[in-house]
Amino acid sequence: MFNNVFKSLKAIKDSFTADAIRRAERRATAAAAADDELPEGDGVFKPQRISRLIDIIQPTAQAGPTAEEICGIASRMPKDEIRRRLALLYRRYNRAASSLDPKLRHEAERMLDAIVTVRENVFGPI
Amino acid sequence: MAEFVGIDLGTTLSGLAYLRPDGQAEIVPNGDGERLTPSVVYFDRHEEITLVGSAARDGGDPERTVYQIKRHMDDPDHYVEVDGRRWTPAEISALILSKLKRECSRLIGDFTEAVITVPANFNELARKSTIAAAEMAEIKVSRLVNEPTAAAVYYAHTQDVDGRILVFDLGGGTLDVTILEVQNEEIQILTSEGARHLGGSNIDETLLELYADQYREQVNAELFTDERQRRRALQAAEDAKKMLSKLQRYTDTIGNDTNGIARIEVRREAFEKAVSKLLTRSIMLVEQALDGVSLKPSEIDHVVLVGGSTRIPKVKSALEKFFGKAPKSCSNVDEAVALGAAVFAQRAAHVREVCNQSYGTLAMLVNAATGEEAVRNSIVIAKNTPIPCSKTQIYMTSEPNERFIEVDITQGEDDDPRFVDVIGKISLEVPPDRPAGCEVAVTYSYDENQRVRALVVDKQSGRSQEVAVTYRGAGILSEEELQKRGRALRQLRIE
Repeated sequence: MFNNVFKSLKAIKDSFTADAIRRAERRATAAAAADDELPEGDGVFKPQRISRLIDIIQPTAQAGPTAEEICGIASRMPKDEIRRRLALLYRRYNRAASSLDPKLRHEAERMLDAIVTVRENVFGPI
Repeated sequence: MAEFVGIDLGTTLSGLAYLRPDGQAEIVPNGDGERLTPSVVYFDRHEEITLVGSAARDGGDPERTVYQIKRHMDDPDHYVEVDGRRWTPAEISALILSKLKRECSRLIGDFTEAVITVPANFNELARKSTIAAAEMAEIKVSRLVNEPTAAAVYYAHTQDVDGRILVFDLGGGTLDVTILEVQNEEIQILTSEGARHLGGSNIDETLLELYADQYREQVNAELFTDERQRRRALQAAEDAKKMLSKLQRYTDTIGNDTNGIARIEVRREAFEKAVSKLLTRSIMLVEQALDGVSLKPSEIDHVVLVGGSTRIPKVKSALEKFFGKAPKSCSNVDEAVALGAAVFAQRAAHVREVCNQSYGTLAMLVNAATGEEAVRNSIVIAKNTPIPCSKTQIYMTSEPNERFIEVDITQGEDDDPRFVDVIGKISLEVPPDRPAGCEVAVTYSYDENQRVRALVVDKQSGRSQEVAVTYRGAGILSEEELQKRGRALRQLRIE
């Protein structure tokens, strides 16, 4: 994914935020399909990967992925974990909504809508 | 001559305030006698005149009228074309500022400097566009200050309170949340968070959908089929929003020349249900702000409302439920930001701000736990660090015989490079034939005017390079072009 980026600097860090996202994404997808049937994952959360996953599982489904699927929320995920994950995604995509990249801004609005939908589905409306 | 002037360049309304000799901030009315000026610009077809404010909003052809230009200040590709001339968002904003400056100067005397407020989440381009707009209007920006910070300063100044304050600023186009601590005269901003496209106009659009649905059910036709009709209906929806803040039920008659009229009835309950997603998003932003400084709702002493849409009862009740205490308003919620900007102009030395964003560099990071390597955004100055500040991170070169140390200067907290903006670059040439692992120190400094400087030092050779980090990408006018457009703008008749 970063092939076009030449980076000369190197440092050591305890953990990556993306690790948490990847773990959640794995949990969300593991029950549904074997890894080798999925589009290649690279540790970075990608809504389109979830969309592709849904295509694989339900090729005849008319509707697109649900908000939960877009957000990588598995059906048996504990509420505390859902809350943490939604907070992480909200922080990311709320910032992305002000990005200098117009494509990312557009994607962010769609994700924020899904995040709020999941929040209301799981915890009820405000 | 007014010494301390503050301007709220808002999405829907703009206002100018100054500090009177007795130290009290006061709104200065425009030439139409209005305390606040609608941020609307109209280019007349027949006369060489540009209307700004209520006249522009009420009477014009929508194709020649510009609404809510502030929403596009961060879009380098956005322009408004009228009679073959292309106007950038900064130029349209400059017209609004010009009207404020010209007309308010008649009452308070000429002024050349002002504090201008911006949403907390305005990106580099939007901030620079705001400064460019002011320069074209012959206003030197002494400071850009975040809108909720200005409102908080006004609240602390007028209410004489101490403790932790959370300001919930639901403006025309954005929601900003700021948490600050006040002790005696001193104000320490702890954090500011903002949400783009979450404001009063989004609520109006939602209500417009309710109107359109009811109209379709009754008349079996569309409420609007062109921009002029849509604008009229949107104005009716905005009026309905205001009424539903006072009444449980509101009836209206609306229609168009083609399909006739219909009687619309909206109940507050239906309105609140329609805007519930926006409210949920608002509360999530509050949670994000609290989480960013590790505070619980119970640790906030005062919740302060700013912005016209905080008049909606559901906004107040949602915040009261969340915090367990009733939120308060400071004077007129529409004017607090401009008034606070004027107070800030004088009291800036008593206000300690924080970095609104994290600043870092892209680097090949090694996960100490797993050994995994990946290009990540490595933060040098973290968001919410009190300013002024200077921070250094040490990196190593990753390959032998590297001739150039490349440093991408990033803005954003995420460690995933996809979700941060690269706002500058430094390339430092170093001696040949060196092994991997040479130490490189990257130092960022952030001053009170939100200017970032970056210094890269190759420790082995002692070579270094320092730059002022400034976004120079698309949408930024050159100094020459800025002056040229400013001169052209000053020739216009603006009413």
